[in-house]
Amino acid sequence: MLALVPLAWRSLTARRVRTLLTVIGIALGVGMLYASLATSLGIEQAVDRTVLEMIGRADLRVAAFEEQGLSEASVAAIRATPGVALAAPSLERRLYVRRAGGGTAAGPVTVLGIDPVLNPQVHDMPLVNGSAITSAGEPSALITERLAREDGYGIGSELTLQAAGEPMKIKIVGIVAGDGPINGAAGRTVIVAIGLAHKVFAATGVTRVDIRVVDGTSPTTVTAALTSRLTADPYVLSTPPDLEASLRATTADFQATLAMIAAVSLFVGAFLVFNTLSLTVIERSREVGLLRAAGATRLQVLWYVMSGAMVLGVLGSLLGLGTGAALGSLVGMGVQATGAAPYEQPRLSAETVAIAAWIGLFVTLVAALEPAWRATRITAIESLRLRIDPGSARRARLRWLVVIFVSVGAVGLLAWPRAAGDLMALRSLAVYGLLLVATILSPLFIAPLARIVGLPFVVLMRLDERLARGSLSRDRSRTALTMGALSVGLAMIVAIGGVAQEARATATAWLANVIPGDEIATSIRPVGLGEPVTVALKAIPGVGSVTPIATFDIAFRGVRLDAAAVVGADFLSDNRLSFEEGSRSDALNGLDTGGSAILARSTADRLGLRVGSTMAFTGGAGKALNLRVAGIVERSIPGRSGETVLVGWTDATGFFGIDGADFFAVRYLPGRQASTQGAFEDAARSLALEPATLNRVQGAVTDALGRVFGLFDALALIAVLIAALGIVNTLSMSVLERVRELGILRATGMTGRQVARMVMVEAGILGLVGSVIGIGTGLAAGAMMMGLGTGFRIAFEPPWLIMGLAVALGFLVSMAAAYYPARLASRISIIRAVQFE
Amino acid sequence: MPTILQARDLTKLYQPGMTSVDALRGVSLDIQEGEFVALMGPSGSGKSTLLQLLGGLDQPSSGDVILAGQQISRLSEDQATRLRRSETGFVFQFFNLIPLLDVTENIGLPFRIAGQNPNKGELKTRIADVIDLVDLKGKERHKPDQLSAGEQQRVAVARALVTRPAILFADEPTGNLDYHTGLELLDALWASCHDRGQTVVLVTHDSKAAAYADRVLVMNDGRIHDQIVLGRRETHETGPLIARLAQLGL
Repeated sequence: MLALVPLAWRSLTARRVRTLLTVIGIALGVGMLYASLATSLGIEQAVDRTVLEMIGRADLRVAAFEEQGLSEASVAAIRATPGVALAAPSLERRLYVRRAGGGTAAGPVTVLGIDPVLNPQVHDMPLVNGSAITSAGEPSALITERLAREDGYGIGSELTLQAAGEPMKIKIVGIVAGDGPINGAAGRTVIVAIGLAHKVFAATGVTRVDIRVVDGTSPTTVTAALTSRLTADPYVLSTPPDLEASLRATTADFQATLAMIAAVSLFVGAFLVFNTLSLTVIERSREVGLLRAAGATRLQVLWYVMSGAMVLGVLGSLLGLGTGAALGSLVGMGVQATGAAPYEQPRLSAETVAIAAWIGLFVTLVAALEPAWRATRITAIESLRLRIDPGSARRARLRWLVVIFVSVGAVGLLAWPRAAGDLMALRSLAVYGLLLVATILSPLFIAPLARIVGLPFVVLMRLDERLARGSLSRDRSRTALTMGALSVGLAMIVAIGGVAQEARATATAWLANVIPGDEIATSIRPVGLGEPVTVALKAIPGVGSVTPIATFDIAFRGVRLDAAAVVGADFLSDNRLSFEEGSRSDALNGLDTGGSAILARSTADRLGLRVGSTMAFTGGAGKALNLRVAGIVERSIPGRSGETVLVGWTDATGFFGIDGADFFAVRYLPGRQASTQGAFEDAARSLALEPATLNRVQGAVTDALGRVFGLFDALALIAVLIAALGIVNTLSMSVLERVRELGILRATGMTGRQVARMVMVEAGILGLVGSVIGIGTGLAAGAMMMGLGTGFRIAFEPPWLIMGLAVALGFLVSMAAAYYPARLASRISIIRAVQFE
Repeated sequence: MPTILQARDLTKLYQPGMTSVDALRGVSLDIQEGEFVALMGPSGSGKSTLLQLLGGLDQPSSGDVILAGQQISRLSEDQATRLRRSETGFVFQFFNLIPLLDVTENIGLPFRIAGQNPNKGELKTRIADVIDLVDLKGKERHKPDQLSAGEQQRVAVARALVTRPAILFADEPTGNLDYHTGLELLDALWASCHDRGQTVVLVTHDSKAAAYADRVLVMNDGRIHDQIVLGRRETHETGPLIARLAQLGL
């Protein structure tokens, strides 16, 4: 059975360049998969660490839903609940610090008030220097290592915490390792005793209480008991798995997209293996025929091809692990740089490494099965024929693509990141399936598209164009396979580019459509409507209007929704919001009188609400509120994970417990922005507000989006690179197959340069046709990626710039890939070509 | 008649691996304009190698080839290609046509390669003329796989003639054809020579084909062993040639 294996090895070494390119292709596919697995692992480990840091050894967490926090009564109720062994309260707020001596802070900090006795029993807070805070009320603090580094603090430094309460001078006694205990505080945290924090913020509530249950008691039992006892304030009760799930949900999109790109790269790598081995079998059909004539069994022939594939797979997978390690580090750096997800250098298990290698080998062998099977069908008579039937080759190839697709899809699902849910898996599969369908259908478009894209070549290189086009149309399935890989890579780039462009454009247009101002002044603490801030800002000459806005969470039918408190009259006069249903004036005036809400179309559709529907809310102490949906708008103010439900300030403060505005939207009088902006921004800073023009906010949003999508684009380029290797292989094979034809052209008077040019023209046309198909597929994939998304409603516009770049990329990659085959063609010996049989 | 092709002391040494093979060992010849010359000899005698050197497809190890007044062995690869394009035509035993192109396109290929449009003016007339000569009228739009082997070879002859080359080289053009089809092809070659003054150099091991020639150069062991002058004849009986070959012990 294995008698022909040495021959397979010699067959690989005889075509070193082709073997090398195929191995590199597999290595890149496996490398991409490995990098994706490693990055996902890095993200998950970072999430695990964050969860551990967040909840420590607590079994349950009760978090306040409203800004005032949980009252003393609630904390007391928790402590008195049977089964609660320990309840550690904490308060978390943001503010600016002043250094002793009057220096200004580099940025806001998060203050965490803890119980110095109880907290260490739930949370570890390793110190790199100094000592822990020991007793409640002590005017001392711990700060994070990053804050110490960024702002130049050390043990013994003094700083002043200034918020709504009395200014408090404190002394730094210890430095907490790294970024400290709070995720999302950018590592700038000051930890003080909770009593001191209460004084600083003039507050009595707590943000959350971490609970340890009595040994042997089930957290579920305690949860039930807490639910019946906690009636004073609205709260959210969560367990470590809940927090973990919620954190993972924020990274799911990123991980899912990464996994999808990895699957596409592997699929393209499988294309390369499949195409290369198919071509090899066609090329060696006479040799196989001779082997059959000499008595080789079909099983021996099967092993002959499969053992070659095995060598390619093993070499490719091993090289892929090295490539993947390097690529994984780069992706990890990219993730950290973009801030797209929490990430830490992954600790890779032998299992992860083995999974990537096995998947690479498995996909290679699956891709090789069909060519191997086809080789077993070659009869001894085949060795006497000049050509094998291209029709049967085509049918077999395209059918097998489906098997490869299913295999890669199946291993993709096995390696699917656990954070990404079913919907994302479905979305990725749909996009992935679209790529397959486009590849299978592409032979139908090759001839007409080649004719169109070949037109520019007709003018100067009529013969080259005619021969190149004919060559591409001669075996459309092979062309489809070669070009399919390129199209798939380009489709990913176009799809990602399209989604990115839409996200940027939408974010820009969105803000302009819903924010009634030219400038935004953000506060790190809620600014009460009674405070003179609004009046002070309005008094600045040139300022037309100032409107306060607060964003917060609400719970509706057990689901968390984003909400925003707004002044309806201000939106009415500034003509913001595009109403799709309901009367603009009635709806916006209704917000100010209370009892009304305005929904974004996406939220209304998701919740099945219409104008006139009632949204019922229950609050603490048996409070209840019914809001009537007064209008549905195209887009609302963006929240953390979706569009906000707009409510009036009356309901926001009266029912939802909102203390004040997060930010103010400021509209300048017509033509006065330039002259007023400076004075306004100075005044805003003096009121502890951070001013930013709408353009700057839009710019920051689009920059952040650009960085994340840029990372995806860079990864999709790997698929294009693998496709380029496929083009080199296929064009080289095509040149070798046409050696007689090229010899005739040379004998008839074509120079070596002309022959090379003809191959280049063929590659150019191939690249352009691939680009056109890739763009079409990419647009559909992009629309699909957004159509199946959640939260935000986005309309899809063709990304013209990206499409242009894809055409240029497809053309240039093909031309670059054609260099070697073209050189090969130009050096064909006429004599050997015409004597070749 | 003026001399169109000269070869002086041509040698060709092949070195496959560790061994070396003297394919040609000092060949000199002159071919006159309008002459039909056949190169005959057993396998390995060097006749195809000589044709390749004469046609500029390969470079000699030593010696000179002068075609239409130009010394091919001194030309660069590109210059030799251009000379080949303008002054020679080739017909091989196998694979003469580009499968993607139809009969007219295959015949017009040399013009396309030279950057000319074969669908206009005189070139179009020339193509029609050679199609007529090789008796392929009505099959202009056929692709090679729609033609018989003999028709394919006639297309190859038409393509070789269409540029009105100084000399036409044919390497075993009937080797892949049946007897009657082979004769039709030889008739076409002879007609081009006899009616139009085309110089033809034919490599063959078939005495029936060689009998169409005015002169037969008999090769053996890399040298021209003998020359048999048959003269221009309407009939191409093989008797005199076979008799002479027999005298030579071939």
